[in-house]
Amino acid sequence: MLKTEELTLNMGPVHPSTHGVYRCVLTLNGEYIQNAVNHIGYLHRGLEKLAESRTYNQFIPYTDRLDYCSGLANEMAYVLAVEKLMGIENEIPERAQYLRVICAELQRLASHGICVGSFALDIAGSTGFFYSFRDRDRALELINMIGGNRLTPNFMRIGGVAHDLDEYFLNELNQFCDDLPACFDEYEGLLAGNEILQTRSKGVSVVSKEMALDYGFTGPNARASGIDTDLRRDEPYGIYDRFDFKVPVLQNGDTYDRFVIRVMEMRESVKIIQQAIKDMPEGPVMAKVPKVIKPPVGEVYHRIENAKGHLGFHIVSDGSTKPYRTRIYSPTFVMLSAFPEMAKGTHIMDAVLILASIDIVLGEVDR
Amino acid sequence: MFGKGLIKGLKITMGHFFDKKVTEQYPEERPNLPPAFKGSFKLNVAKCIACGLCANGCPNNVIKIESVKDENNKKKLTGYKMMTERCLYCGFCVEACPPKALQWTKDFELAVHLRDDVNLDLFANYTPSPDDEKPAEPKNEEDSAQAS
Repeated sequence: MLKTEELTLNMGPVHPSTHGVYRCVLTLNGEYIQNAVNHIGYLHRGLEKLAESRTYNQFIPYTDRLDYCSGLANEMAYVLAVEKLMGIENEIPERAQYLRVICAELQRLASHGICVGSFALDIAGSTGFFYSFRDRDRALELINMIGGNRLTPNFMRIGGVAHDLDEYFLNELNQFCDDLPACFDEYEGLLAGNEILQTRSKGVSVVSKEMALDYGFTGPNARASGIDTDLRRDEPYGIYDRFDFKVPVLQNGDTYDRFVIRVMEMRESVKIIQQAIKDMPEGPVMAKVPKVIKPPVGEVYHRIENAKGHLGFHIVSDGSTKPYRTRIYSPTFVMLSAFPEMAKGTHIMDAVLILASIDIVLGEVDR
Repeated sequence: MFGKGLIKGLKITMGHFFDKKVTEQYPEERPNLPPAFKGSFKLNVAKCIACGLCANGCPNNVIKIESVKDENNKKKLTGYKMMTERCLYCGFCVEACPPKALQWTKDFELAVHLRDDVNLDLFANYTPSPDDEKPAEPKNEEDSAQAS
């Protein structure tokens, strides 16, 4: 009889498949994972504490650094929360509202692009990775035109947006939206339709509807498990109730569905951007807000549908220029907590795939 | 038929094989930067009124301003240092500047050999040019809307 024993393997914190500095200690029985333990905190920068020593406006650039794949959406969540706290959410100019929606959806395209690309890379298909990043780069160039930076644009302001966007940008964006559906067909032909990818990912780490609800899954991962939820439709913030879009829901909840649903969502985002460009009125982009922002004493919680799930900001104000406490609810932190259970019993090569399908961003997990 | 998807995928990659290349040959080919691009900073010292709004707006206390009052009780800039090593490149300082003296440049290759060289001394870096004597542009509508 061959003598066998369990092997403890340390994955990360510096490992390309962990998408950042996430560490996981795996207990292996041969090729199979018996147990996985999460270790997080390597990218902890104390953003919640930093918020307490900065004014409301000054914290906006820091929200870009939360989930650095979707900076504009994080900014939108934060400014909407502060506007709700100040009670000026109905005074935001129409054009600013439309620009915010365009920015958020463009950022969703960029964020899902990274998920699709890194999923392809983690399954050892580098061609799919480059096709996805080619399109994501065009989205980033558009974000560069919006705010002057590719990842940390700092474009949203309390009461509107920083500046108006010109005709040239809108034309480029229109062109981008027209080109994208063909690119999605490419992803589906190259990746989703590929039998090798399907065999690797179908039926791997199935998250049932109950388990997804128990762990508090939100966003695309919840919708891949059959939970029909989308804050853009269910509790519309901003002007999302004016747009006509579908919320894709899949039933299996395996890694394949979590991958495919992102491509489906990108198609819907393109539709939203096209509607927004068509309907966008002319006008000011900034409401009349005081230069020194002093919200009344109170607290507020506001959440939006980020690219990865529900991103919420809980802000407590003591009436001064700085928030008394800011708490950030981040979606991937919640979903990463389900990773040990999702990885149990799977192959070690599937573990990186499961991580890619959750689409973790460590800037948001550790904050 | 098993393998149909594989063939379809190969067709897609083959189509791109003969396509135009999308890669930018970076050091030889320069990127086309948008007008809003945030690169490095430049300060027009002749325009600066040493009001300190840029230093106030900064989330990270990056900007250090030194000024003296002249005989007309008017502030005059004598030093302007930027601790760029902790700069977020958020652009609140450029937005806050009333006479638009502080501006972005499109210089993005900011790597240097020594840590001290990262920080900018915009007062010392300033080279006067004939355009500087022009009067400060009036505030745009956005600023006046914010101030009220």
